[in-house]
Amino acid sequence: MEKITRSLKVGDEIPILTKTAYMPIDPDARNVIHTDEYARDFGMRGALIGGSTLLSYVLEMLYNYFGQNWFYHGKINVSFIGGGAINGDIVTAHGVIKAIEKEADGNRLTLDVYLEKQMQEKIVVGEASCLKA
Amino acid sequence: MTEESGWEALPIGLEMGPLEIVLDDNMVQERAELVQWKTQEQLEKLGFTPPGITIRYHAQMKFAALPDLRASIWAKSEHEFLKPMKVGSKVYIRGKVIEKYVKRDRHYVVADYETVGEDGEVLMKSHETSVYVE
Repeated sequence: MEKITRSLKVGDEIPILTKTAYMPIDPDARNVIHTDEYARDFGMRGALIGGSTLLSYVLEMLYNYFGQNWFYHGKINVSFIGGGAINGDIVTAHGVIKAIEKEADGNRLTLDVYLEKQMQEKIVVGEASCLKA
Repeated sequence: MTEESGWEALPIGLEMGPLEIVLDDNMVQERAELVQWKTQEQLEKLGFTPPGITIRYHAQMKFAALPDLRASIWAKSEHEFLKPMKVGSKVYIRGKVIEKYVKRDRHYVVADYETVGEDGEVLMKSHETSVYVE
């Protein structure tokens, strides 16, 4: 886990997390946006990877930084934008500290978070916060 | 007379679930592998599941409650983590449709979800907005 340092300041970026996006494709998926045929008709490049999977990439980055505190004090609020991700896209989660507030149990850090795919196209954007002991 | 669409007929206040989920080893391992969770070994020592492991079931609950729904695409998603979910435990998710609106010709549904443990303690609260396609 990352340790807080005295030099922690607004504008600092927490360690990024990069993955090759993947979700098994089921042609009979109940949510047809996860099928190639429907997603292409909808103007997408192929079956969209589920939002909860994309969110999990951001959550893993946040857990890696905040540790167990995330389970008790983590908050995240994101929007899904752009064309989403399909299998094989290289996606990177980012977090940049935008505020540090003192609370009784530590510092609450608020971060701008986003997930971008190749060519720096953002597909998930929002804000997260958590106590950092 | 024009037939009412599924979205038009959707009542605000519609309750979804509760859905019981058993967080057994296989389920947790399968999900961790699917999302390529690299620190699963560390979480296993704590007996905790990766955070947000049950979020994907929210869509499943919506599809079960809304037979006309063909595609649901997240527009916004908000989650508050209050307690860890433990491997081997059961959790229950309750959902409720709280709002619906049209914006730029797209139909949206807003729903709240609450995930509770076996003792009734709230573990996670979620607030989600999705595009409704029928």
